[in-house]
This record gives sequence, C-alpha cells and structure tokens, in this order.
Amino acid sequence: MTVSVGDDIPEWRMESVQPERMRTMAAILRDPNPVHWDKAVVDEMGHGARTVNQGPLGLSYMVNMLHEWMGPTCIRRIVMRFPQFVMSGDRVIAMGKVTAIRSEAGVQLADCDIWLEREGSDPPLEGFATVSVTD
Amino acid sequence: MTLKPAPSKESIRAIVGHRFPGGKYTIEHWENFLLTECTGADPLPDGLAHPVALFHVPILGARTSIGEMFALGQAEADNSIHIESYDWEFFQPLKEQVEYDITAEITEADRRTEDGKTFDRIQFQFDLADPAGVHTARTTITWQYKRSSL
Repeated sequence: MTVSVGDDIPEWRMESVQPERMRTMAAILRDPNPVHWDKAVVDEMGHGARTVNQGPLGLSYMVNMLHEWMGPTCIRRIVMRFPQFVMSGDRVIAMGKVTAIRSEAGVQLADCDIWLEREGSDPPLEGFATVSVTD
Repeated sequence: MTLKPAPSKESIRAIVGHRFPGGKYTIEHWENFLLTECTGADPLPDGLAHPVALFHVPILGARTSIGEMFALGQAEADNSIHIESYDWEFFQPLKEQVEYDITAEITEADRRTEDGKTFDRIQFQFDLADPAGVHTARTTITWQYKRSSL
C-alpha cells in the first residue's frame, strides 16, 4: 500500500460505549476511581447518570483503527491527550490523517494526527501516532 | 465524598525521583482476551497482546497500583484525577506469556495554575524489557491532581 502525506486513515467506529466493558476494565486495572463503575458518583459531578470511559479504552479505539489500517504490529508510538470525557452510550469514531512520511533504520514510518470524533462536541481525545508502513 | 486537604507544594515536588519496587509481569491469555474484548476488537494473532495492556501491565508489574499512584500524589479523592496525556512507545510488540521486567519512577511533579484552577501535575515513567533484556516499551503517564481548596 502506498501511503502519502494528507491521506486519511480509514475510520474505526464504536457505535455505543458500553458500561459493562468499563467494569471489566476497572477490575483488570484494579482502578478504584468510581467514575468508571458508579453512575451515581458521575451524576453528582454533574455529568448525568452515566459512567466515564477509561482513558486507555478511548486510546484503544485509536489502536484498533491503526491496526486495521497497517496491521497488528504497526504501532511505534501513540501520544494521546484527553480534553473531554467519553461517556457510556456515546457513539465515537477514531479518525486520523498522515502528516509526514520518513525512514528510520530502514523502516518507513508514517506520522499521523489522530483523534476521536463525537457528534456535537470537540474531539474528546486528540494526539498523534507513529506507525510502520512497511510491516 | 469528603475531600482530603491539599498538600504543600514542597511535598509534591519531593516525590520526583521516587522509584517503585519494580518486578516481573506476564500477560496471561485470559487477561489479553478480556482486555481486547473491552476495546471492541477481535483477538490479535500469534500471541500478540493488545497494546492497551501498556497501561496496567507496567503499573502492576512495577509493584504499584493506580490507588498507590493516587495516594503518592495525595489525591483529594479517587475521582479527582484528570488524565493529561499518555505517551506509549513500542520498540517491540507486546506478547502473551512473556515475562517482562518492569522499572518505574516519578519523573516530574509540580504545582500549576491554569484558567484559575490549581492542580498538581505528576508524571510517571515505566520501562519494560523482555527476558533477554531488550527494551520492549516505555509508557509515560501524566496526571493532573485537582486541588479544589486552593
């Protein structure tokens, strides 16, 4: 596959962020933060009776997008910022665009801007990734 | 929820250089399966672990926990932490059934005020090496600890 600066990465969709997955994740992570499993706490914080998706789960949607694009060992680096919460029930779409192509130790790398899109809000996650495009 | 009082700026700065005990961690198949399912993806081939494992594997492998990381920063409550960023670097893919050696320390800690809100910004760095000593991955976690009383 030929990759060029300006290319859009094929998007990856999470049609509805599931609270059950947050609970499983909280157990595996041993995460004591109740915002991921107790909607009453989130309601008290003014965000409605929903739960807040773990940051790593939102990041994983970016990973899934990159894997579907360039394969399961393509990721070299991901840097992600989290300006807004992703909530249970949200429909989110992982998106990205190639910003540079370069070569390092004989491997062709693509630098990409990546972000999570949600209708009616600014991107809740945004950052960049470096991906091998020669795998 | 009762909030704990804000710590002094000096006590936050003093945690820079704190090293966690470190240790070993092996990603089990069941763990990788459940993690991958949580992401909405299908299991990866060839014993590859989903990269999302680079969050909890370093923390637990370094013999710490999210709870201890909250406590080291003297969080006012368990729901008072905001993620600033995660920086994940993969030098090799993560795999199931490989015993990783993990080292970790606090690399930055300081008080900041932005948009009229005060918080402590704390950065944790974790490194993973495979049994041959090959540097496999590095993760840098930057969290903001809200200080509502300041």
